[in-house]
Amino acid sequence: MNRLNQHSISFFSGVDPIAVMLYLLLVMVGFLNIFSASYQEDLPLLAFEQEYMKQFIWICISLTVAVVILLLDSKLYHMYAYYIYFGALLFLLMPFTPLGRAVNGARAWVAVGSISLQPAEFAKIATTLAVARLMSGYSFSLQNLKGLINVGILLFLPFAIIVLQNDMGSGLVMSSFLLVLYREGLNKWICIPLLMVIALFVCSFLFTPIFLVTVLFWTFVICSAMMTGQWQTQIRFGAVVCLVALVLYSVSFLLFDGLLSGYGALLISIALGFVVAVVYAWRKRFTSLFLMLMLFLGSMLFVPTADKIFSSMQPHQQQRMLSFLGLQPDHSHVVMSKTAIGSGGLFGKGFMDGTLIKNHYVSEHHTDFIFCTVSEEWGFVGVLVVMGLLCALIYRIIHIGERQEEAFGRIYCYGLAAVLLFHVLVNIGMTTGLMPVIGIPLPFLSYGGSSLLAFTIFVAIALRLDASPQNFSAYNR
Amino acid sequence: MRESDNNVRRIVIRFIVAAVFLVLLFRVAKMQFFNEEFTDYAESLVRVEQTVYPTRGDIYDRNGEFLAQSRECYDLMVTYDDLEDEGFDTMRLCSLIDIDKQKLIKSLSRIKKDAYMRLKPVKVIGYVTKEAKLQLEELSIPGFSFVSRTIRWYPRKIAGNVLGYLSEVNEQGLKSDPYYELGDYLGETALERSYEKVLRGEKGVEVLIKDSKTVIQGAYMEGQYDKVAIPGKDIVCTIDGRLQAFAEELLVGKVGAVVAIEPSTGEVLVMASSPGYNPDDLLGRERGNNYMKLLNTPTKPLNKRAIDGKYHPGSVFKLVQGLIALQEGVLYPEKQYPCHGGYTYGKNKKLGCHAHPSPLSLQDAVAHSCNAYFCHVFTNILNNRTKYKNTKEAYEAWREYILSFGFGRKLGIDIAGEDAGYIHTVEKHDADHRHGWGPTNIISISIGQVVECTPLQIANLAAIIANRGHYYIPHLVKSVEGEESIDKKYLEPQYVKVEPRHFEPIVEGMWRSVNRQGGGTSRIAYILGLDVCGKTGTAQNSVRGKLTKDDHSVFLTFAPRNNPKIAMAVYIEHGGSGSSIAAPIASLVEEMYLTDTVVRHDLVRMVKSRKIDYSKYYKAESK
Repeated sequence: MNRLNQHSISFFSGVDPIAVMLYLLLVMVGFLNIFSASYQEDLPLLAFEQEYMKQFIWICISLTVAVVILLLDSKLYHMYAYYIYFGALLFLLMPFTPLGRAVNGARAWVAVGSISLQPAEFAKIATTLAVARLMSGYSFSLQNLKGLINVGILLFLPFAIIVLQNDMGSGLVMSSFLLVLYREGLNKWICIPLLMVIALFVCSFLFTPIFLVTVLFWTFVICSAMMTGQWQTQIRFGAVVCLVALVLYSVSFLLFDGLLSGYGALLISIALGFVVAVVYAWRKRFTSLFLMLMLFLGSMLFVPTADKIFSSMQPHQQQRMLSFLGLQPDHSHVVMSKTAIGSGGLFGKGFMDGTLIKNHYVSEHHTDFIFCTVSEEWGFVGVLVVMGLLCALIYRIIHIGERQEEAFGRIYCYGLAAVLLFHVLVNIGMTTGLMPVIGIPLPFLSYGGSSLLAFTIFVAIALRLDASPQNFSAYNR
Repeated sequence: MRESDNNVRRIVIRFIVAAVFLVLLFRVAKMQFFNEEFTDYAESLVRVEQTVYPTRGDIYDRNGEFLAQSRECYDLMVTYDDLEDEGFDTMRLCSLIDIDKQKLIKSLSRIKKDAYMRLKPVKVIGYVTKEAKLQLEELSIPGFSFVSRTIRWYPRKIAGNVLGYLSEVNEQGLKSDPYYELGDYLGETALERSYEKVLRGEKGVEVLIKDSKTVIQGAYMEGQYDKVAIPGKDIVCTIDGRLQAFAEELLVGKVGAVVAIEPSTGEVLVMASSPGYNPDDLLGRERGNNYMKLLNTPTKPLNKRAIDGKYHPGSVFKLVQGLIALQEGVLYPEKQYPCHGGYTYGKNKKLGCHAHPSPLSLQDAVAHSCNAYFCHVFTNILNNRTKYKNTKEAYEAWREYILSFGFGRKLGIDIAGEDAGYIHTVEKHDADHRHGWGPTNIISISIGQVVECTPLQIANLAAIIANRGHYYIPHLVKSVEGEESIDKKYLEPQYVKVEPRHFEPIVEGMWRSVNRQGGGTSRIAYILGLDVCGKTGTAQNSVRGKLTKDDHSVFLTFAPRNNPKIAMAVYIEHGGSGSSIAAPIASLVEEMYLTDTVVRHDLVRMVKSRKIDYSKYYKAESK
């Protein structure tokens, strides 16, 4: 009895109280807003048809699961990271089985009875665990090509499956791991072209292929010059490739009646240059240059496929994309969302009094667009509170990560922080019209069991990892 | 080196996190504090202003009976884009609101074509009854809604020309008064028009919230921007409903007018024009058709003959001539003039007269309506060289007297459409008589030919004589709900230029005309014990330039002689002599008013059976 008591005391004392408090506050604020956004007057207050009641149940489940996780041995996560990862991949494939269910054109849900889960939410945790496990290995180095490729594979597999589910938004979350890689020592001259590739990926169909190829080519030439310091060689190399392309184009234009287009000429000369560079890098064992070339090859694949990807998108996604990029009149979805946020003012319209929210002008106002509810009803003050809590939580998790003695815990925490930051940026960005509308939830606030449960587990594992040294010492004593 | 690089990366990451939050926060702040359009747009999205229509004030008669009453009715509106694709029970709808199916389909397809009209409620049909509305609401067909209106109904179906009618506001009305919106009804004529601002009340506004599917969700901001509709005020009309109905009944089959005034107040007791129309015809869906029908009726039922009919007053004008002569001192009551079957003037010209004793004093000349006597009187007025240098000056003075009696100008009754009548000016005579003119040229004015006046002006003359020298401007409204008094101008006595003492001989003549055995022309108006005073008139008239065989029948009367309660004029076109039809009608109305009943049933029968053939005088306009 005494032992048990002591155990439970140590169990709680090891957990970071600030993070727990921030977490609980966020969930509470989220519930309050979901209540306001989804309260249906024609139903009784405690009816289970009310969406906030469902959310309440999910909160209870999440808290229970969190307690269970905190009770488990922290070593488990390190030990079973890969198993969890593969389990998650299998789970990710579940929507393609008859159990799967499509919402908004994305086949991203698994329905068991009346409960439906979104595997992608849980894949983020598993991926973080696997990446942390891999990168915390003794022989792992980000300077080494094999290591990078391994990390790349770990990230690419869930990304690919999620994209196949037609849930581009959740897929793009994987790109947040760039922040983790950067923290763990990835050369910034690799980070920059990678960011470039991500940005170009979002709006690749905006530009002509020849422009894209040119931009990508020079980005990589310059970045590898920065990385290797071989300015002269790099610039010379780039100039030669362009010159070859020009000569090719002129020759074809003059002698062969314009057999080759400018694009074709450029592609051929880049391909030739690429072969030359690969051979050069291979001979000289020039790892970093080789790495750059690989990345370039990968990003080049996007150029012809970007159009394909866009045309394979759901019409509503295309619409959102186009309206975001200013190619089409603003999508009414975003107009309404911006109007709801903008009309909030300093103190908002009051709890349950958001005129646009309550009258269904903003769709998904309790799920992905919960931020509209916050800003319309609570105004700037509410926004400040919510963003303050989220920001504080992210900083706290980074802080927790930095105080870890083991790399596994640190990398995991950074992974969590990066995923949270990505969600906040994209979600609030899309509701305010800064980002294209890709449906990802606002952590802890948006309605949805999968999201809440997944983020709870995500945070709980971090807290457990953080609490473990103290626990050990408690046991040892 | 490695550790410091790590530190840089830690700081960079924290910086990135901060940057992300700051960018988002600035974005939200900019939207919430510096972009007013979001607030405005949010308001415009959810706010709907719905007009609340006040009930129109009712119109009562002087005894508190309804003349015009407000009734609830509804406009059926359709929002085309809210209609369901699979259609609705058209037959049921059509039968409920009593509309032709083809007509409904036609108006729906008209709305369908207009992209703007499709979005908002558009009127399909008006005058839907409350019962139909309730039944239709039970069916709850999406896309259909109702707007509440008040329309009129007329319990007594009388006095259409006095009450006027309502019509939907037109372009001009919309421009002239910002109060009106398309689809509003406003008083178009008569009382409904002149008391429009009183009767209409003040529209209210209900500010409501609509959701994204344009369904109303309730009051906006707990109704703090709502404006309550102020109901229109009721007005009490001076008309005596029973008397008006009786007069209209008697007028059936005749063209003309009856106007009765309470002399002590100027309140109009009866104002009947014939032919009239059933005021109920000018509302409802058939209004347009009925209106055109009335407009095309040869005898013009829409004319307010009581105030806009221009007629020669005939012999009743002699009363004024006598009064002016007495005031001018060119006549004294005992003065006798002989009559040899008329008045001879100029070179063997003669203005004829009927058979009566001769010579006569003023009183008897009035009683017998001697033409010759008043030719002398009028000539004396114009030839009064002790006072006036020439005929023109004398005529000018005479005309001033006439105007003070309310002739030749609008009296100022409180409904529009009044005619001034016409009293010739000196200039007019100059133009008509290029070689100069004297009393002989215009002698027929002495007996009320040539000049023109309205039945209202004749009734007003009756009131002046009844009051012995003053009148109140005739008016149709006794009181307005919540207002202390009506326009002050109706409460002030208007004095004529003849002193009260000169009235007695004229009154005596009028009394004799009715009451003396074998004495006067107005015997038929005699009612035992009522001391009726009267004066007949028989006005020659011409249609399309030719003198007609059938004279207009005129009668001017008031009763009782002392402290008169009613003064009246009856004018029947082509009714023959004054005593043949105008006098009986006037007498019966007087009897009804003063004794509350009519005992001379034979006379009633006689009047009602008298139908005058107007086809000679009113021809359908060729199109």
